[in-house]
Formats: sequence, structure tokens, C-alpha cells
Amino acid sequence: VEILLVEDETKVGSALSAGLRAEGYDIVWAQTGEEGFFHASSRSFDLIILDVMLPGRDGIEVLGTLRKNGDKTPVLLLTAKDAIEDRVLGLDTGADDYLVKPFAFAELGARIRALLRRNQADPSTTLSIAELMIDPLRRTVVREGQRIELTAREYELLEYLARHHGRVVSRDMLARDVWREVARATPLDNVIDVHIARLRRKVDDPFATKLLHTVRGVGFTLSEDPS
Amino acid sequence: MKWHPRATLRGRLTLHYASLLAAALLLYAVGVSAYFLHNLREQLDSGLDRDVETVEGMLSTDAGGSLLINSHEGEAMHGELKRGYLLEVWSMDGNLLYRSEWLHGQALGPVPGGSVSGRQPGHSLQLPSGLRLRTLSRVHHMGKNNAVVVRLAVNEEPLWEEFWEMVSMLAIGLPVAVLLVAFSGYLLAARVLKPVDAMAHRASQITAEQLNERLHIENPDDELGQLGTAFNNALARLEHSFEQLRRFTADASHELRTPLTAIQSVGEVSLGMPGDANYYRDVIGSMLEEANRLARLVDSLLTMARADAGRVQINRATVNLYDLSQQSCALLEVLAEEKQQSLQTTGDGSVSVMADPTILGQALVNLIHNAVKFSPEEGSVTLRIVDAGKDAIVEIHDSGPGIAPEHRAQIFERFYRVDKARAREAGGAGLGLSIAQWAVNIHSGTIELECPPRGGSIFRIRLPKQSVVM
Repeated sequence: VEILLVEDETKVGSALSAGLRAEGYDIVWAQTGEEGFFHASSRSFDLIILDVMLPGRDGIEVLGTLRKNGDKTPVLLLTAKDAIEDRVLGLDTGADDYLVKPFAFAELGARIRALLRRNQADPSTTLSIAELMIDPLRRTVVREGQRIELTAREYELLEYLARHHGRVVSRDMLARDVWREVARATPLDNVIDVHIARLRRKVDDPFATKLLHTVRGVGFTLSEDPS
Repeated sequence: MKWHPRATLRGRLTLHYASLLAAALLLYAVGVSAYFLHNLREQLDSGLDRDVETVEGMLSTDAGGSLLINSHEGEAMHGELKRGYLLEVWSMDGNLLYRSEWLHGQALGPVPGGSVSGRQPGHSLQLPSGLRLRTLSRVHHMGKNNAVVVRLAVNEEPLWEEFWEMVSMLAIGLPVAVLLVAFSGYLLAARVLKPVDAMAHRASQITAEQLNERLHIENPDDELGQLGTAFNNALARLEHSFEQLRRFTADASHELRTPLTAIQSVGEVSLGMPGDANYYRDVIGSMLEEANRLARLVDSLLTMARADAGRVQINRATVNLYDLSQQSCALLEVLAEEKQQSLQTTGDGSVSVMADPTILGQALVNLIHNAVKFSPEEGSVTLRIVDAGKDAIVEIHDSGPGIAPEHRAQIFERFYRVDKARAREAGGAGLGLSIAQWAVNIHSGTIELECPPRGGSIFRIRLPKQSVVM
């Protein structure tokens, strides 16, 4: 899978390239809008990650020209402007999704997977991680044959983690996708931490293998392998 | 600068007063002149009256019934008409019986008709030569069935000379008086307005760095004093805003610097330490935590900057306050549970306001979060919805230590913390309450703090039920 990354900031660009390569993507990194446009129009990519604030031609301009030329490659905009009008402008110009800087790398990974239509399991099939079985239809959780009773919120949290199993989920992602809280200033971190602690008590504490891990400074992951 | 009387207040005032005075004096002068002229004529008429009586005494008839004038003393005869009178005597049927020779046949008015009776009022008349005369006619009875009309005239020119002398005196005196008043008025206005110059001079020297300076006010009750007081009050408000801004900038940079310092020192120290992967993982994790803190802070600052610029879109809908309170409580319920606190919503379940549920909910969440944070274990946090007529009220009662009086005025200020050390431990940058206040204010509501003596704090949100267009 080939991804074109257009990002002028060297540190951010190299970190993203390295991170995405580690996830198994082939990355072409362009540092200016012109260079990005040249790559995008000379060959085809599966996805373009486009920074809005670029020297010379900015991301919106590049995106507009690409779309005018009939290029339908999915585009994920990276923007530092957390304002509604910028998002609207980006989406109107033809972006498929946007991410506001600063963002967690885990979230970028999730957005890329969503745009590439990968990892989109049938929402009704049973999820299983190790001996943990989650049935989304009946909203039941069974581990090693034992039924685990969860509150509605705990269940949603666990299902979300299971759908992203093996990957780190940030608190921002949980606040938005599980709590559906749009205002980023709402103090939900403590609430999330308490719920994770309770979930861990029910899902992990009675069992030898721990599945729910905290990745300090990043978020949480549901995985057999703690690293 | 080109001086123009209209340009300065002083000049305008003087001009206005001078023209008013001129108009008033002119009116007065016209009145006085008219009265003076009237008086002069009255005098002339009473003189004529006496002359007529004298002349009457000199009239008689001879046996044939013809008119006889016994003496011509007092009658003007030749040359210039300085003194003396002119005389006409008419019979009742309109025949001229006598006319002074001086007149050379010129009539002293029309032939008296049958209407002449008794005494006639004085009457002015101009001869063809231009000479003005004052005439008086009277019917004189000279025995039974014999009466004549005596008509006497005197020179009116001396009267006019006197009149014009008076008018010319007024005409010279009036502009002099007006000029004098205008000049002294100008000087007076200059003296009265002198404090304005002083105030302007002082005000022009006040800059952002010296907002503590105030204008000197001589008399706070007069208009200038009121102006000065208003200006000083504006300065005080400005100083307060500047002080707030200065504190905000200082606090914001402090809040931004703290996580940056942590990142830097943690990074530098661990670089110099030997350690395994787990150690470095932990170090990086702690750096990321600080980075997250920074990101959250920048988010909050952005939210507030956008709020300050009025760029936040408000999507109003009918919001049931009880339901919104319950939702906000549900969001934070786990935090209260962890501390075995009771968190509940009570009160009127039917009160609704027109509000943006997301923004108003944020205010409630922030306030509940604080209440839970500062209430002790096994304490209680209670929300109470009250219908107060025009307003709807949401009260958030906590069982915390309350807020000391010296902090109460400032707790809604950005970054303000009652206990600097403790609050940071508990998380948050001291923005929750100011965001809550903003969220309430844009709904035309107010938020106030009450600390009852029995302990705890009550944050009271008051919202108008009828939405006010801002």
C-alpha cells in the first residue's frame, strides 16, 4: 500500500514516515506543495496525507487542483487550525477526512485504516482476542467460558478497544468515539481512566493473562502482547 | 493651526452669547426708541394743547359775525420756522377763515369735515417742502351756533433731531457693549475651560504603562468634574483590563512553560542515564504526558480566544435543565463513585431555556467536575433546578471546604487558582470556571458563587427563560 505524505515540517515528516513504515505502508514523503503535487499527478497512490500549512502552494490549493484534474485518491488533511470554517473548507474542497494537529499517532493510524477500508470487520461478527469473546449483536462478553457482566459504557469501551486490538487507542479517540464528546475542553481524562480501571478489574483481574494495557503518555491497548 | 472662532468651544460659546446679546439689545433699543418718540410727541402735543387754548382766547367775532384775531403773538411770521406756531381757522362748514401767512397757501391737512368734534389727537404732517409739522385741531365755540375749527401746527424737526441723536447714541453704544461682553465672555470662557486644557494635556500623557494615573478634578459636581470622573472611571476599567491581560499573559506563559520544562529536563536527565528499553519507554511516556497537557492547554486557550473574538457559533434549542443536568452528572458519575460521593439532580423537572446544549453542558460538566474534585470522600454534590419566574436557576452545591472570601472575586478569572500547589496535582490549568462563566454569559446568563457559613460552596447559574438576542 502506497501513501504520499506531504509535510514540510522535517521532524513531523520523518516521524510519521517511520511510524507508518513500521505499520507496513510504503511512504513517499514530499516536503513542499509543488513536490507533492508532482508526485500525486505523476503516479497513483492509495492515500494522500496532506498538510494544509505548506510553504508556496498550500494543501487546500494542491487538493483543489488534484480534484479538478479528476484525481479521486482519498485525502487526509492535517490542519493546525482547529476552526470549523477550515474544516468545512477542507471537506468542501474534496478532502475525505481531517485531523487537527497536534494528534496522537494512534489516531492517525486509525483514520488511515478507515480510509483504506481495511480492518473493517463485519460489525456483527464475534470479536475474539485470546480467550476473550465479544458478541456485538447480543453485547455479551465471555472470557475462558466465564460470562463477564459489564455496564453499557464499559461494554462500548471494550468493544472499541477490541476493534482496534493490537493498536494503541488514545484518550481523545475514546472521548470522541465512545463518549461522543465533541468539546475537547471537557475534562474526560479522569472519567476514562476510572472506566479503564473498572474494566480491567472485570476483564483482567480474575485471569492470568493480562489483555488491557496502559501505554503511558499515549493511551490504552487491548493485546496479548504487552509491548 | 489656523484659528477659527468656530473651531474652539470657547469661540463658539462666545459667538453664540454675543449674537444672543446683540439680538436682545437690538430689540430693547427698538422698544426704547419707539417709546421715546411717543413721549416726545406727547410733550409736543401738550405744548400744542396749551397754544390752542391761548389762541382760542384771542379769537372773537365782530358784529357782522366775521372772525377777529386779537393778537398774533406767538405766531410764526417770517423766515425760518424755529419757534412759534402756524394757525388755520376753519368754519364748521369747511370755509377757510384764516391761515398764517408763513404757509403761503399750503394746507395743514385736508378740509375738516363734519366729523370734527371736540379735541383731535396730534397728527404729523409733511409739507411739500419737506418740513415736518405736528398739528392739533379743535372745535372752538364762540357763542351760540357759532363754532370754528382751530388747527395749530408747530415744527416737528427738533423732535426728530432729538430722536435721531438718541438712536445714534444707541447705535454706537450697542456694538461697543456687545464687543465688550464678547471679549470678557471669551476671557471668562477661557478661564472656565482652563481645566479642560489641563485635563487634555494630562490625558495625552497617560499611556498603557501609566494607567494608574488619574485626572485631577477640582470640583466633582460641575460638568467638567463629571467628565473627569467619567474619564477616570474609564481609566480604572482600562487599568483593570490591562492588569487582567497582563496576569493572563504571565499565567499562560507559566502554564505553557511548566510542561515544556518537564519535557526538557526529563529528556536531558534520562539521556545521561544508562537504562533499558523499559526505562526509556517510561521516560518517553512521561514526556508524552506533558506534551498532552500542553496540547490540552492550547486547545483551551484556542477555545477561549475564539470565544473572545465572538467566533463561536451558538446553536440554540429548547433545553430541559433537569435533563441536561442529569446527563452531565451521568458523564462524571464514576468520579463521584470512586470517592463514594452522592451526586444527584433535584428540583423542578419542567424548566427549559433556549440554549446551546453542548456549550451549556460544558459549563455544567466543568462545575460538577470541580464540585466532585473539591468535595471530600463520602461527601455529596447536589444539583438543584429552580424556576424563578423570568429566570431559570441551576445550583451546584458541594460539600467541599468552600472558598475563602479573598478568592471569591477572582475564581472566575483565567488560570486563577485558590491553592496553586494542590490544583495542579488535581489536574487542570485553572480554566474550567472561566470557560463555564463564558458559556453562561453567551446565553445572557450570570454565574455567581455563594459560600454559606455552614460550609461548602454553591455555584448558581441564572439563565433567562426567554432567550435574549445578543
